[in-house]
Amino acid sequence: MDLNTIFFGGLAVLSLAVFFYFGKFKASKEQTDREDRINWTKGSFNYKSCLTIALGIFLLFFFLSFLGLD
Amino acid sequence: MRHQALNTFGRSGNPVFGQKFDGDAQFADLPASQKMTLEGTINKTGILLLLCFLTAGISWNIPNPALMIGGMVIGLIAAMVTIFKPTMAGSTAPIYALAQGLFLGGITVIFEAQYPGIAVQAIGLTFGTLASLLICYKTGIIKPTENFKLMIVSATAGIGLLYFVNIMMSAFGGGEGIGFIHSNGLMGIGFSLVVVAIAALNLVLDFDFIEQGSEKGLPKHMEWFGAFSLMVTLVWLYLEILRLLSKLRR
Repeated sequence: MDLNTIFFGGLAVLSLAVFFYFGKFKASKEQTDREDRINWTKGSFNYKSCLTIALGIFLLFFFLSFLGLD
Repeated sequence: MRHQALNTFGRSGNPVFGQKFDGDAQFADLPASQKMTLEGTINKTGILLLLCFLTAGISWNIPNPALMIGGMVIGLIAAMVTIFKPTMAGSTAPIYALAQGLFLGGITVIFEAQYPGIAVQAIGLTFGTLASLLICYKTGIIKPTENFKLMIVSATAGIGLLYFVNIMMSAFGGGEGIGFIHSNGLMGIGFSLVVVAIAALNLVLDFDFIEQGSEKGLPKHMEWFGAFSLMVTLVWLYLEILRLLSKLRR
């Protein structure tokens, strides 16, 4: 077993252990007790802004490719 | 008619969630054993990961394009059914995980043949990102807000559009499509870094959705739905990390 496998394999195992252990705990009060939490309970999502930003990101990368940058 | 839980719960950056919710008290009369919990969702994520690894192992040992393409198509169908029929998530999410395993195992073999050792690096970095962001979320270091959600969902949609146009251009005679997406130059690597960051931040939205879902006591099958949403993001993140690492080693 080489060093690459030991390091990244160990990272994967350790990370999964952290995920399965901490995932079961509730988030801290700092996370849950705040006014600006995402409100998943309302259809308040701004689709116009989302579409505008998405198109902006798309056009930015699309035109960069035309400039021949790689 | 949309399912009650989807009418109840909103949209995450991950496209698997629907929108609209009428009120927190909607599921108040459900017995405790029928409510979504954090522990249940994490356990189900574990089951999905195990199933994914199982078929990835098969596909890794028996590399076959038919297995890979079959896995991709079945995975796509299972994902669509899960998104539109979350009540079926208990059966469709495991099918999605099994199918994606076949696809990921096959694609990993191709990358591994070209760049030995890349698979374990990508797996380590994917789960490393998952654990780091979970800790950042749980401790409140990263606090997702409505603006955060707007930016991540928009960026995800923008990247999706870019990939779609790239596939169309490649399919209809545009050569490699949008050039720098595949290049190992500064732009290509920079682009991959941005995409990896966006995919990783989608995990934060998934964590918040699952956290709030268990707080509000959504129906039990939403545990499968939450686990499925995490799997979708993890599969995307893994593929993007694999692409980034391959660009760095070219």
